Amino acid sequence: MPEKSIPENDPIVTKSLAPHYVVCMVILMATLFWALWDEDFGQRPWKTFQHEWKERYSSFLKAARTQSAQSQKEIESGADYQKLQQDYEAASQSAAPRIKEINERLRSLGAELLAVQNVFTDRRAYVNASTYDMETTSSPSSKKSKQQDLDAYKSKPSSVEMPDGKKRTFKNFDELEETYNELRNERTQLSAELGELLKPVNEKKELMDSYVTDHMVSLTPAQLQNLQNDVESLTPKVRQINVNEHAANLEREDSAQIVDRCESCHLGIREPLKLTAASMSLKGKKPDEYARAFTSHPERDLLRIHDPEKFGCSPCHQGNGRATTSVEKAHGNYEHWLWPIFTPQNYEAGCQICHSADMVLTVNDVGWVVSEGKDLFRQRGCVGCHRYEGYDKEPEDLLANGQEIKLLEQKKKDNLKQADDFMAQADQAQTNEEANHLNERAVALKVENSKVDLRVMQLDRTTKSLFQDMKKVGPNLKDVRLKLDKNWIPVWLKKPTDFRPTTKMPNFRLNDEQIKAIAAYVWQSGLTDPLPKHKPGNAAHGKELFEARGCLACHSIGEGDQMQGGTFAANLTRVGEKANYDYLVRWVHNARERTRPYCPYEKKDIGPEDYKKKGLPYVFDLDHSKCPNDGHELQVQNMTVMPSLRLSESDAEDIASFLITQKKKNPSDYPDASFMDDPSLKAEGKKWIQFFGCAGCHEISGLEEEGRIGTELTTEGSKPVERLDLALLTEVAQRGGREPISDPEDLARLPEGPAKEPWYDHKGFFEHKLAEPNIWDLGKIKPPSEQLRMPNLHLTKEQVRALTTFLLGSQENPLPPSYQYRPLDYRKDIQEGWWVVKKYNCMGCHQLIPGQRTILMGLARYQDAQEQLPPKLLTEGARVDPQWLLRFLKNPALNDQDTNRNGIRSYLQVRMPTFSFSENELGKLVRFFQALSRQPFPYIPEEVPVLTAKETEMARSLFSSTAAPCLKCHATGEPAHDRTATAPNFLQARGRLKPDWMEQWMLDPQAISPGTSMPSGLFKRQNNHWVFSGPTPPSFQGYDKDHTKLLVDYILQLTPEEQRRVSASMGRSSAAGSSKASGASAGGHGAGK
Amino acid sequence: MDWKQLWEILSAPDNVPIIAMIPLLAFYIYLAWKQAHANDLLIAELAADPALAKTHHRKTWPFRPGWQKEVHVWPFLLRVEFLAAIIVTIILMVWSITLNAPLEEPANPNLTMNPAKAPWYFLGLQEMLVYFDPWIAGVVMPTLIIIGLMVIPYIDTNPLGAGYYTWKQRKFAIGTFLFGFVILWVSMIFIGTFIRGPGWQWFWPGQTWDHNRLIYEVNRDLPDIFGITSNFWKGIFGAIVVGGYFIVGGLIVNGLFRRSNPKDYKRMSLLQYSLMMTFFLIMVALPIKILIRLLFHIKYVWITPWFNI
Repeated sequence: MPEKSIPENDPIVTKSLAPHYVVCMVILMATLFWALWDEDFGQRPWKTFQHEWKERYSSFLKAARTQSAQSQKEIESGADYQKLQQDYEAASQSAAPRIKEINERLRSLGAELLAVQNVFTDRRAYVNASTYDMETTSSPSSKKSKQQDLDAYKSKPSSVEMPDGKKRTFKNFDELEETYNELRNERTQLSAELGELLKPVNEKKELMDSYVTDHMVSLTPAQLQNLQNDVESLTPKVRQINVNEHAANLEREDSAQIVDRCESCHLGIREPLKLTAASMSLKGKKPDEYARAFTSHPERDLLRIHDPEKFGCSPCHQGNGRATTSVEKAHGNYEHWLWPIFTPQNYEAGCQICHSADMVLTVNDVGWVVSEGKDLFRQRGCVGCHRYEGYDKEPEDLLANGQEIKLLEQKKKDNLKQADDFMAQADQAQTNEEANHLNERAVALKVENSKVDLRVMQLDRTTKSLFQDMKKVGPNLKDVRLKLDKNWIPVWLKKPTDFRPTTKMPNFRLNDEQIKAIAAYVWQSGLTDPLPKHKPGNAAHGKELFEARGCLACHSIGEGDQMQGGTFAANLTRVGEKANYDYLVRWVHNARERTRPYCPYEKKDIGPEDYKKKGLPYVFDLDHSKCPNDGHELQVQNMTVMPSLRLSESDAEDIASFLITQKKKNPSDYPDASFMDDPSLKAEGKKWIQFFGCAGCHEISGLEEEGRIGTELTTEGSKPVERLDLALLTEVAQRGGREPISDPEDLARLPEGPAKEPWYDHKGFFEHKLAEPNIWDLGKIKPPSEQLRMPNLHLTKEQVRALTTFLLGSQENPLPPSYQYRPLDYRKDIQEGWWVVKKYNCMGCHQLIPGQRTILMGLARYQDAQEQLPPKLLTEGARVDPQWLLRFLKNPALNDQDTNRNGIRSYLQVRMPTFSFSENELGKLVRFFQALSRQPFPYIPEEVPVLTAKETEMARSLFSSTAAPCLKCHATGEPAHDRTATAPNFLQARGRLKPDWMEQWMLDPQAISPGTSMPSGLFKRQNNHWVFSGPTPPSFQGYDKDHTKLLVDYILQLTPEEQRRVSASMGRSSAAGSSKASGASAGGHGAGK
Repeated sequence: MDWKQLWEILSAPDNVPIIAMIPLLAFYIYLAWKQAHANDLLIAELAADPALAKTHHRKTWPFRPGWQKEVHVWPFLLRVEFLAAIIVTIILMVWSITLNAPLEEPANPNLTMNPAKAPWYFLGLQEMLVYFDPWIAGVVMPTLIIIGLMVIPYIDTNPLGAGYYTWKQRKFAIGTFLFGFVILWVSMIFIGTFIRGPGWQWFWPGQTWDHNRLIYEVNRDLPDIFGITSNFWKGIFGAIVVGGYFIVGGLIVNGLFRRSNPKDYKRMSLLQYSLMMTFFLIMVALPIKILIRLLFHIKYVWITPWFNI
């Protein structure tokens, strides 16, 4: 130790600590102030937001007010407003003298009343108190004396100093009371009179004000002033929404415990003005974080449905609604919050949390992404491997159905046994009464059994429906030998997108051994039944039919820029390279026609030999769907959604002939694949087919009952992020920086492009998984049987975003049941209906949502022939009788013999196909359309009044009026005329159309079906009635009912003879030529647009 | 070196106390040693000069003869303590403003975090779970630690070194403390905090805590190495080994203690001495078990149906 000089004095005693204390105290005080600041501002950043909001919003309102005042002035200078103002002034002037008089009288009356009241209330108080005293006195004598005192008091005179300075004397209490009541009555009467007088004046004033409000684009200056007052009186405070606040204490399990303070910073969300980041920025500056926070909610209609006061914000958007200490915390973007806010790219994920049962979920511009995600999940066959609540539930329902039947049959047996027991007991009963009682119980059990029988029958029907409803995403691979060119199969398996870039079939990354084995199994397990031979058809006619009949609503043809048609079904550009002509004919004619029925009970395909054994004819269809061996329900259809277009055999041949010409090279160009007959590959092939889950999408012999191989995704979004296995990429994802996907095609699928930020979250996982499904195998050393199996779905950026949004929202619902969307009324019918509508791609042809584009609308063929498009179904439920709709959906030809036609719109080239809907789906569809138009169900048709001869004559004259020649466009059944018809036959209206709708349709068809060729403005409003706009015959003189109603009743009673007569009479007048008529109809349609 | 992750671990709010503790511990040991050294010099000087010893009783060195023999608590002690209180207040306030409590997500009973770590002050105990079964590491050992600490005043018969720092007068007590607290306890907390990663695997500082890391490590019980298969003989074997440790270890410690602390040995009663020996041997057993586990992959020495050591 170095020698230090020892001080003279003891440092412990003499050394001063004052400097140390000074420094420490200064630091301590500074820390104290720091703590205070932190408490008030550091931990409360929202205060700054509220301060900024106050300034910015109030200057925004000021600017808006100047503008609004200007436009108010403009409106006020308009003639309509001036007239209203004059009315108002006239009214107020005429009422003014009397009002003045009343007001004067009221004023003096008020003074008088006040003067009398002062004295009166004082005396009354004494009277009341004495009365009470008397009432509660028990002794009669003192009661009597008190009565005398009171009477004496009452009879004393009192004097009041009136407002005019004079004294008025009342001789006793009663007189005072009377005067007081008289004065009050007079005042009441005068006030009522004043109210009556002012009423018309105020009404006029209100008219003026509402005129301004209605004609202002934004708010009026007065409204803006109110907003400004509100914002200026704003004091900083946390703005909080308690979700389910009231139920929270009542029912524990029903309390959402969601507390949202989002509006402490997002102050503009619910403002009635549209606030954008630009309008909330400081002058001349770019939008900063405050400006972005202050914008109003972009979709106000959504807020109207989901009142923020009830729902809060975080149930839809997620994030940590309670946090107020920083933006990151509030948005939940930190390590320990499990539900970070949905990014703007995926914000529709919030809809899915409650609306997973809604297939189509749109409000204006919101909801299309998540709806597409739902659709993709189903159409791309994700459901084949991944279970998801509500998707592809027919197999599960079938199982549940079977179990219920089993239970019921057991119950029936038990009941019978018990009934026998009761009967036996009855025989030995001691008394008659007891025997009767036991017998009755036995009888009751037998009745119950008959109920059980009926229920089982019902369940059998449901089973049949379910078999019909069960569909597979991919084609039936039992038919490969009949359908495909053998050498093509390995080529296809190698990489399906090389052959058909838009195919639904994903790329499985198979190696050559796997391809060989899989192809061999599929080939060797295929059916070899003979196909009927067909003669070659007319390919040119086939092409015409292919384009005209509506095939392109689902299928596409042409590649790249040349592609036209829908993506719902396969692209047929190269179908000729792989398909067998005879099979194609059968498929086009009726795709549901199966080679052999399948019995799920025996788990085998039933052939003619099985039928022969039982001596039954080899016939199987929806009416003959019982297994000959065991009586169980058979699968008698191909499990495809492709409907029958009811084509004649020769038309089908023509189309198939056209399709078979669609090829880029010849089938013979493919390398020989005779290894597919090698039986030693079969076992290996089955193993790989099971491994890759092919049976999820395809029907494959021997693998009909295969389960799903993937993980269930119903609540995938709420899985803890640690459960998502990113394998060796976990660290990469947590730190960001390097993008692991290197394949340029897969890289292009990432919605946000290559990762720059850390992406260790659900969004990052889903996006990377969907872009390159085997990405988590990167760097891992695994044998093929352990590698990731999910195939590459070759999705686009937008599709990845849609599916990611869908999956992000696939969460356990944190909201209390009363907040979840589980409708039981008409909205349930809508929910169920959309599943069917999307399943069969109804929207490829029909418009169901205003503004929705159908596939056919986009085709060149219809650009100048919109009247040839299938009808829009915007008001279908209000238009047609549900009973009729049911008949029509069952058989759109509306005819059992002549089916090669459209039942209603025979003039359309495009064909409404027969979908062979099951009872279940028919019911859902009919209910869906009724619910969509909010129609009561069941529908009770209204009685159509029988028209008198005169009325008939009048209606006929309207019907055939040259100003509205109905039969010019509407079909009549005469072939010559119908060639140019563009509207349905009137004879079909009865039993089909609802009269209310018909009337509405005649008044304004454009409002119901925009772009229709039916002209608008045929009727005008006159004396509170609808009258024909054209010249009316003299017989209408004095007819004061709606002309529309008359016409509707007439049409509903129209007979073929009547129509023929009218048409003949019209035909004479416009026999100049049908070519002119068609020109006119096109012109009429042009006007309609 | 994975600097990013190293920084993440070092800067985690949970680990601030242990990070602060390591330099503070070093500093205070240095300070105590410095004072002890000074006092030892003083003791030597006073022992050599009995006259000086009569006038000077303050335990301070160096000193001048004229200095006060004793000083008052107030103000000379309290003013320093109050200053210290102010400084600690400042530190606590700054700490609480700048670092919030490290709260995590709502507990999910279906998902255990990995690594799941106790608060830093319990990490030494948690680390012990690697070497003993939960009954021993979680219940018996903590109890023994507490009882051992409570016993110290009763077995400490050395009258010297109370109220001032010294090393020469209390070599055994201070040495045992440094071994038990600094070497055993603090280093186990250090291991638990910085070395143990996902799966409670051993990661050297700077090595990435990879959740997918797989290592090959087989731990065997000592009886298995000797080919003992029956449970009964395993119990007997373990009892012999553990008993042997206490006998052999006891003899060695006894020899050393008697040689280096003959005065203490003389002053202690049999009960005091045997208690001291028991706790000392148990304490020494802990690092021995750690070492045979880490170096020789021996899981347990003594296996019984009720506990494993």
